[in-house]
Amino acid sequence: MLTLSVFIISCSSDDDATELTGNGMVKIEFDNSMAGDDLLLGSSYTNSQNETLTISRLNYIVSNFRLTDEDGTVFTYPKDQGYFITSEETGTTEVVLMDVPAGRYTSLTFGIGVDQEKYLQGAEGQGDLLTEAESTNMMWSWQAGYKFLNFEGTFTSSTVADATDFKIHMGSHGSSLDNYKETTLSLGTEALVSEDMTPIIHLVANASNILDGENKISLTEQAVIMVSEEKSPKIAVNASNMFTVDHVHNGDGGSH
Amino acid sequence: MKYLFWMPLLLAMVSCTNDDGEYIAVGENELLTVTLPSNFPPMAYNVSENPPTKYGFELGKKLFYDGKLSANGFISCGFCHEQRFSFTHHGHQFSHGIDDLQGTRNTPSIANMAFFQEFAWDGATNHLDLFPIIPITNEVEMGETMTSVLQKLQADEAYQKEFNAAFEEGGVNHTNFLKALAQFMVMMVSYNSKYDKYVRNEDGVSLTDQELQGLSIFQEKCANCHTTDLFSDGSFRNNGLPPNPNINDLGRAEVSGSPSDNYKFKVPSLRNVALTAPYMHDGRFGSLESVLNFYQNGVQDSPTLDPLLKNGNALGISLNDDEKLVLIAFLGTLTDDEFITDKRFAEY
Repeated sequence: MLTLSVFIISCSSDDDATELTGNGMVKIEFDNSMAGDDLLLGSSYTNSQNETLTISRLNYIVSNFRLTDEDGTVFTYPKDQGYFITSEETGTTEVVLMDVPAGRYTSLTFGIGVDQEKYLQGAEGQGDLLTEAESTNMMWSWQAGYKFLNFEGTFTSSTVADATDFKIHMGSHGSSLDNYKETTLSLGTEALVSEDMTPIIHLVANASNILDGENKISLTEQAVIMVSEEKSPKIAVNASNMFTVDHVHNGDGGSH
Repeated sequence: MKYLFWMPLLLAMVSCTNDDGEYIAVGENELLTVTLPSNFPPMAYNVSENPPTKYGFELGKKLFYDGKLSANGFISCGFCHEQRFSFTHHGHQFSHGIDDLQGTRNTPSIANMAFFQEFAWDGATNHLDLFPIIPITNEVEMGETMTSVLQKLQADEAYQKEFNAAFEEGGVNHTNFLKALAQFMVMMVSYNSKYDKYVRNEDGVSLTDQELQGLSIFQEKCANCHTTDLFSDGSFRNNGLPPNPNINDLGRAEVSGSPSDNYKFKVPSLRNVALTAPYMHDGRFGSLESVLNFYQNGVQDSPTLDPLLKNGNALGISLNDDEKLVLIAFLGTLTDDEFITDKRFAEY
């Protein structure tokens, strides 16, 4: 199996080497990390702001997947099936897109969170997402909305000696602030989809970026950030920029 | 398919605006006529997404009055939203929830909710369907989880049948649960007060001289915020109430995170206002006299005070005793006895 995967990867730049037909699946792995290290709940990580974080929870909603092929044709995943909650605690870190038309896909776009259009579909639009959000601590019940990101744990810093709880809950603020963001990633390698080929797109989510990305968020300054007109949009930008494509496995989707 | 079939009926309903309570047959279930009073602005709720039906409405009503929606089984929506007080919690400054816990805000009326875009004192949701999540999951109100409520309802054979009767795609699930509650609320239109009949020239109803003077003062001094015949523009404003130091409720800023929204609360509708004491988001005033005295003398300046309440150094609204008297007489004409006694909405 391994040799077969290697063989396929080596051939992937040869256009027309394989006729891709039918519909297939795409698996997207969200591999959570902390600045190059594997993210393990309960372990501690020190960031560039000299704050040491011990993480107990990292859940986020990813949504509205779109795949673009070599010709620029965009496949948009059906919106009513397009919302997924990833959770490090439960090990739910893979998104499987079904019924994707055969093709050679070169880039992936998705959202972090829930867009206003979906929210304003009311009861009809939410379906099982409400249930799932509630069971994964992603329902923001007093706002009757969704937490797009739930990042929790404890931290210490040069001025905070005792491990202190931090809670980062980010979502849209009712009708006043929309924190839904999208990101587009070039896959580097074409992801080949057909009735027999299921690529695995292995993304790395660098969770360190949530506080220590282009916007610097100091937990020492504020350890509980839930609704902040200033900080929540910065966290939303940081989170939307935490994803990179590590590699793409082409093959039958069984090996990784 | 469903919408194609119903859309002509919905259009037909719009044309018979004040004709409530008429049922239009649709298969075994029946589509209800949603009231769109001719003196109201357009409805904000998209009825075509969730058209009220006989069984959907009845299910919503049963849910509204069912204590199963709370953790201890006793606190229904109707516990705090009592019909005879226009669905408020009369005499209670704050909402009382499970285990005798108290909230920090006064129960607002749920009349005419389908005509508004934002819900709760701070606009914590901008869709009526999703509003019930707030009180159900609030620890000091109903203290439940949505998942647990659904499990209780799923285990109940009567509910299984009622959910299936109410919705083409049956099943006891969140979508249908929230749709049923919304259907019940969408039908709660209060539009038959003395004032309404006067402005619509119905039944030869007229206002007294005192009430007319009150209306005139109202239009001059109150109607910038309490606009239209909904008597609210739905905006969030700081009306200058000194914050309660024990609570320091930031209002809209709790939702938006913006200091520019500090102490702003939704402008409440004044429909049935004579019935809905106590007043303000925290129920601090026991009478309309006290409310008017506050606007005359009690408005406190702050960075977010509404500009309409600040003219140079003068704060609040200038009102003399005669004006207060006639204003209260006018506000009394907003009481809709038909609404508060409408059997369709009654618990028993």
